[in-house]
Amino acid sequence: MNCYEHTFIAKQDLSESQNQKLIDKYENIINKNLGKVLKTEKWGLRNLAYKIKNNRKGFYFHIKFEGVGKTIEELEGAENIDEILLRFLTVKVKKHDLDINYFEKKDDYKP
Amino acid sequence: MKRKKKINSKRKTSSYSKLNLFQKPGIKFFRPCPLSIKDAPLVDYKNIKLLKKYISESGRILPSRITSVSQNKQKKLSRAIKRARLLALL
Repeated sequence: MNCYEHTFIAKQDLSESQNQKLIDKYENIINKNLGKVLKTEKWGLRNLAYKIKNNRKGFYFHIKFEGVGKTIEELEGAENIDEILLRFLTVKVKKHDLDINYFEKKDDYKP
Repeated sequence: MKRKKKINSKRKTSSYSKLNLFQKPGIKFFRPCPLSIKDAPLVDYKNIKLLKKYISESGRILPSRITSVSQNKQKKLSRAIKRARLLALL
């Protein structure tokens, strides 16, 4: 099992329920294909540094998971077809640090 | 006579003394790498605050001779910056 980090950007004109559906959809794909989701982060609506497909803003989602090569094949294969997504990136890491979140907003603390 | 003098003065300024303007032999302009010391911040594509220090105003990666980052860390930095660019964070 290897450790991976996965980030994807969705279009800005989505409701919250649609966002939640997106996350559930891709978590399911990971869990079904020999993977295991450890943590998901929502970075929220952010300004893009440059235009992507004529969009200025986008929703950022970040998933930390364990898996094998087949997991990523299935995940990226599904994302390539999806029209809601603007871009995605998978990075292999040696070790997960689950504590640090660079994009946490101070308003979002809900105990 | 005049010509000879001119040539001599040119040679003096050309090779050695100009270099010495920037690097005096006695003094060393050595600064330790800011990313290799104790408690240094992690180089990561999500750490945008750190990455923004190492790019110019127009978005180019600064050379390590200006920032005095070690070779190992400069490699990791450039990789992190390119990843952040792909995600439109920088």
